[in-house]
Amino acid sequence: MEINPLIGVGILLVIAYVFFYLPQSQIRQILVFIILFMIGYALVITVAEMPAFGALDTPAYNLVAARYIEGTVGETGALNVIAAIITDYRAFDTLGEATVLFVAIAAAVSNLKTH
Amino acid sequence: MEDIVVRSISRLIVPFIQLYGLYVIFHGHLSPGGGFAGGAIVASSMILYGISFNLEAGSRKLSHDVSSLLESGGALWYLLVGLIGILLGSNFLANKIAGVNLGTPGQLLSSGIIFLLALGIGAKVASTMITLFYSLSGGESSDGNRT
Repeated sequence: MEINPLIGVGILLVIAYVFFYLPQSQIRQILVFIILFMIGYALVITVAEMPAFGALDTPAYNLVAARYIEGTVGETGALNVIAAIITDYRAFDTLGEATVLFVAIAAAVSNLKTH
Repeated sequence: MEDIVVRSISRLIVPFIQLYGLYVIFHGHLSPGGGFAGGAIVASSMILYGISFNLEAGSRKLSHDVSSLLESGGALWYLLVGLIGILLGSNFLANKIAGVNLGTPGQLLSSGIIFLLALGIGAKVASTMITLFYSLSGGESSDGNRT
């Protein structure tokens, strides 16, 4: 479904006005209820559009998954496909993950030292 | 906690947990698991030790210096293993393309850098969890005073 960007911006402005600037009143409560109902409705119809569990025509079930399953042993020598993905095909991503761990522990230790 | 049952059982079971964690790390490329899962298992053994004995005993077994050495060493090890690919004339963290010997699939020493990277990740995750536990529970401060 094609949506005009201006309509989307308008909806966002209305939501921001209601949530952040409208004073506490009966009208505010009704508007908040309507907005939350609309958001919830959109989320529910999105979930209803999703493919069934284990369906063969899932968008995630594409060439990439087949490539990993067929090529892992030949290309990486590992039997565990997940280990091959996280430390070979996506090794740079895992390096970033290790960096996140490092920064998190550095921040935690440097803050807790003062106690 | 001063409970003889908890102490005896945890003293008995901690080596087995650590052995299992090392098994999961070393067999990351063969069986379910890997660096993250194995590191968490190894760290949980040290956390169990710290809970069932006391925090001082735990930090004597694995001091803050060793833990931070493992922490930084894991990250540096990951980077160094990644540089193997560049030294062999290919991309950063390259495995088969760089010509690393992959060995026989199914053997313990196979799959090139995957095996080496799992060791670094395991050390890093284990030391992260242990350091966080001992820091948050206030067992060890920077200058060695108990808070």
